[in-house]
Amino acid sequence: MTTLLATPSTWPRILTAGFGATDPTDLDAAVAAGAFEGLTRAVRTHGPTGTIALLRASGLRGRGGGGFPTADKWDACAMAQGAVRHVVANGYESDPATHIARGLMEERPYAVVEGVAIAAFAVGATESYIAVRAEYGEAIRRLEAAVARAEAAGHIGANVLGSGRDIFVSVRPVRGAYMLGEETVLLKALEGKRGQPEQRPPYPSERGLWGRPTVVNDVVTLGAVGWIVANSADAYAAIGDPEAPGTTLVQVAGAIEEPGIAEVPTGTRLREIVDLAGQMASGHRLKAVVVGGPTGGILPPRELDTPYGYAALREVGAHVGSGSILVADERACVVDLATLLTRYCADEACGKTIPCRIGLRRLAEIGQRAASGHARPTDPALLADLSADIVASALCAHERAATNPLTSVLRYFRPELDEHLLRSACPAGVCHPIGVTPAGTAT
Amino acid sequence: MTDVITRPTDADALAERLLTTQSPQRPLSAPAIRLEVDGRVIEGREGQTILEVCRDNGIEVPTLCYEPKLPGFGACRMCVVDVEGEENPPISCSRAAEEGMKVQTQTEELRRIRATNLELIFSDHNAYCLPPCQNKCPSHIDIPGFLKANAEGEWRESARVFKRTIPFPSILGRVCPAPCETHCRRDEVDEAIAIRDSHRYAGDQVLRQMADEGIDPPVPFDVQPATGKRVAVIGSGPAGASAAYYLLIAGHDVTIFDKDEKPGGMLRYGIPEYRLPKESVLDREYESITRLGGRFECGREFGKDFTLDDLQNQGFDAVLIAIGCYDTNKLGIPGEDADGVIDGLEYLKIATLGLEYPGHRGTRVVVVGGGFTAMDCSRTSVRQGCAETTLVYRRDMKDMPAASEVHEAIEEGVTAIFQAGPTRVLADEANTVTGVEFIRMQLGAPDASGRRRPEPAAGTEFVIPCDRVLLAIGQGPDLRWMGAGNEGTAATKQRRLAVDAVTFETGRPGVFGTGDVRMGAQTVVQAIADGRRASYAIDAYLHGMDLGALRTRQTLAEPQPEFLSIVPFTSEVKEPRIRMRAMPAEERNASYIEYEHPYTVAEAIAESTRCLQCTCEAIGFCDLRRLGIEYGTTLQTLEPQHDRGAGYRSVTENRFTGLNHDYVRDDSHAFILREPSRCIDCGRCANVCAEVVGAACYDFMRIGFDTLVTTPLDMSLNDTPCVSCGRCAETCPTGALMPKPRILQKYDVDESRCILCGICVDACPYDALRCGPDFELAHTSRVEPMIDLMAIAALDRDTEMTYVRRERDWAERAVAEGRPVRPDRLLPVLPAGLATAGGNGHNGHGDGGVPAGGGSAAH
Repeated sequence: MTTLLATPSTWPRILTAGFGATDPTDLDAAVAAGAFEGLTRAVRTHGPTGTIALLRASGLRGRGGGGFPTADKWDACAMAQGAVRHVVANGYESDPATHIARGLMEERPYAVVEGVAIAAFAVGATESYIAVRAEYGEAIRRLEAAVARAEAAGHIGANVLGSGRDIFVSVRPVRGAYMLGEETVLLKALEGKRGQPEQRPPYPSERGLWGRPTVVNDVVTLGAVGWIVANSADAYAAIGDPEAPGTTLVQVAGAIEEPGIAEVPTGTRLREIVDLAGQMASGHRLKAVVVGGPTGGILPPRELDTPYGYAALREVGAHVGSGSILVADERACVVDLATLLTRYCADEACGKTIPCRIGLRRLAEIGQRAASGHARPTDPALLADLSADIVASALCAHERAATNPLTSVLRYFRPELDEHLLRSACPAGVCHPIGVTPAGTAT
Repeated sequence: MTDVITRPTDADALAERLLTTQSPQRPLSAPAIRLEVDGRVIEGREGQTILEVCRDNGIEVPTLCYEPKLPGFGACRMCVVDVEGEENPPISCSRAAEEGMKVQTQTEELRRIRATNLELIFSDHNAYCLPPCQNKCPSHIDIPGFLKANAEGEWRESARVFKRTIPFPSILGRVCPAPCETHCRRDEVDEAIAIRDSHRYAGDQVLRQMADEGIDPPVPFDVQPATGKRVAVIGSGPAGASAAYYLLIAGHDVTIFDKDEKPGGMLRYGIPEYRLPKESVLDREYESITRLGGRFECGREFGKDFTLDDLQNQGFDAVLIAIGCYDTNKLGIPGEDADGVIDGLEYLKIATLGLEYPGHRGTRVVVVGGGFTAMDCSRTSVRQGCAETTLVYRRDMKDMPAASEVHEAIEEGVTAIFQAGPTRVLADEANTVTGVEFIRMQLGAPDASGRRRPEPAAGTEFVIPCDRVLLAIGQGPDLRWMGAGNEGTAATKQRRLAVDAVTFETGRPGVFGTGDVRMGAQTVVQAIADGRRASYAIDAYLHGMDLGALRTRQTLAEPQPEFLSIVPFTSEVKEPRIRMRAMPAEERNASYIEYEHPYTVAEAIAESTRCLQCTCEAIGFCDLRRLGIEYGTTLQTLEPQHDRGAGYRSVTENRFTGLNHDYVRDDSHAFILREPSRCIDCGRCANVCAEVVGAACYDFMRIGFDTLVTTPLDMSLNDTPCVSCGRCAETCPTGALMPKPRILQKYDVDESRCILCGICVDACPYDALRCGPDFELAHTSRVEPMIDLMAIAALDRDTEMTYVRRERDWAERAVAEGRPVRPDRLLPVLPAGLATAGGNGHNGHGDGGVPAGGGSAAH
């Protein structure tokens, strides 16, 4: 089970408020703690447009990594042509080493269901789906129980709160590969089709599930919606980074003493987040942090003052991604690490576009060549050029972000990379370069 | 497994969705929009993609995965365009065109992205296009093509194929050094094909027909209507003649000037009769130029009798200088001016006229040089009765340009000495040659041509006594005409005419140069290739095209892709090459007639049948190759490097070289040949098969780098629901899916068994099943089954979409063509406006609602 890291008492707890309850599916306890208060207010007080306006005022952005303003997505869906709309909660956590969404779905199933219901109410969707990674058995059981109990109690279902609106929510286990985390791939999976992304625009908010306007939100995003409507937009907007306010869930893991997940206000410095997980493993010092999961950027200690936010992270060559922060100490080799991550991304690519199918593989091969001492003199330049071209012509976010690990090594760890390239040496002693490259040729 | 949600069945939602789903067809009624593409304002219709608007307006945007019948797929990322105000370039096949949009299709960044994509594809493209022989040929003759025609005994067709790139199969069949044969893959089985002897036979058959039956030689392309433009070609050698030939086909009026009495240049005056019979081969084959309307004006020397000013004043729209190389290089050693030191070309000119060179008989001759001229000089000297003929060459035999001929020369009585260079010419008091002093050469470091540079070894001098010295150490062009009346042209450092290698322009407008005068002395086949390329440039110039833009097209027409990864054949067939029989050496050294006996018909056919046809079947139709050449990602060079062998680099060798896939060819299906190694995973076959045909035989299989568009479990197509329609092969942009060669048959339709599924109509690439009376009949009787089709369609969205789209397209086309459409003939989901728009009172015409337009023509 994932550990919830202790955070300073001044930090608000919105998503993790009920963590550790004996029975998270206990509806009465949840309602007593404020569940479905937001939905009631949305239906009784704000109405669909008012709810979207309130969400816009709160500044909530997508926690799935994209950072797209949630209100804009809902608005586009509500305004789109079509009689039938859908809401899909993305509970397919692609990153196999991250358990943020799983934690939330297991511990706060009612928060997720309420978020879906408010979204469905706001955009006018009757059928909504929570797509959960099929391996998350406990999360699926708890969500299903929560949906059943909420429907029985009249919080969702036919004619919600006498509004004349039907809001049916169902839990859909989906199984596939890494790419299912991508929203258009997830929709394809729900339709039972080939798991490949679609070119956007049109966005799913205009043409999504079965060609209908569809809101696709991460479960972490939806988890905060109930709180926002129940409390106020201003209260939420006052938290964290004013550009993208609120709290989010991060997972800190790697060479630290107490790995776990934590709820942090946006804009918190990376250093503060890493410190939540306690000391470095004994006697070792921090060498790098991988921010954003397999497609994340590898950042050196001097970048630890970067605020945890969409724009700031993108600027330093990382991204929010899966919400994972992986800590590496000096025993790790960044070339090896970046190669491993890139190879993983290449192997998990759906194979649709050429830059992704072949390009990512070639990136991984560049890393492998460096790690094995067979680098070509042109490799650093090739790495930069190929990454730029992949980013420029990318179809989906996976392809674009998968260039992060190696480009960040090029950006921050050039001396260590050069040791591999020029001297066939691995300072960390992880790689075993065997080839001999004449010194001075690898520039 | 993924939990598939069953789709709702309410009819309203279905109808609504059918109408709101994006259609690949241009909506005829949509309002017009204007957008700016590459600085040009063009018009499109709302709902069209940028790509569709561009294509409608003749703006080329490259695509690989785009299938015009389907919505954009977005896999190849080749159609990226720059839209003002967007950070990353969107792909034009999926992006809707908008009013006022500013689009660029050819920026540097876009070209770079496309080139990167192509390089990535090539790095995993375990295949090659041109067979090595064709690749190695300077003129890139379709060798498998003409050998195939040969094997079928179709000599005229064979000659026609040959003439597409070289107008003279018989001449080349005698004088070509045949670089193709050294790279023939048949060599990996037993022996290389006799490619040169094969086209010689085909060409000779055409010449024989001309002489005996008066049949015109085949013309490779349709002769274009006269353009009224006049071109002067100066020089009637191989380069000039070949340029003239293709310019005549292009419809221009061509006059060829030559300084000598008869046309042919070096072919006539530089190559002896025993190698190239003048009357029976050269004259007859050159007749193909006069038969196309070309005029020769012989006996008029450029620079003496006329100048460029004169020609241009006479109204020639373009002038091509193809005067060749007639200035023999000097040795630059003492005593060179002695009597008896003769220019080898001068000697050959007299000899090839059939005259004996004065005082040659009985003399001792030393020939200096190692090229074809040296060979011709020494072999002609033997025929002219010289007492002793010695050939001296400064390099090794294997580095000799004419190495192929040296054995025959030695057989005929020539003494050959290698690795010796002349140091001085010895002469008596009367300044008459008495001998030549040579020094031994040892081989040093390789030079630019890859051959080791000969260096003199001190103290190894020796003398060969002789009466005559023939110099054949290479030629340069005679450029003394430059100056008054010919201003605007210039010479290069190497003393050649300065000419652009791609556009063939000299500095002077309307004046072009080609052949040896530009390249220095080269082989006949290189000169002919150069002449042909120059003809393209002149044609473009005469049509007023921008010659700068020609650069791209020129590379398209002249690919030099070193595409070859040679996979050894494992065939056990052993069938040695059929050689032409030659006269015994003791007979031929006294004779000027051709010393090789031509093939018999059976031999010619048998030899051509040995060809493995190892070309890519899709050559000429392959979008990947076309784009690869256009974007310069095929390692090709503009200037062919003839001394560097092709076949040593693979197409997969570029900056991304890494692991690549090697798949197995599948020829189990009767009509469709699958070569997955050539697959680029564009997904077109999968989409067309699923969306248009409805069979869904292919899909993306596996994941990541190993993704391949193939059948489930890579099974044979025979085990899939394949209907053998060939749509997949038709849409494939490369040679991964190809129609298997087959014999055409006529097919019958058994109407009693037809279930009106419409697959045949959808599948037919030529719309053949749309216009016949049978199909209209079937279509009419669909009024009843329509309800059922709706129910069936409800089970499968794709089939239903296809059906409704087809119905709508049909209705729209009918309306556009003014044919009435009866509302009850349409699906209930189609808009009523469409049904009434064409219903203009002709409904009673014909029986059972058969429309009165084009469809009823068959009744």
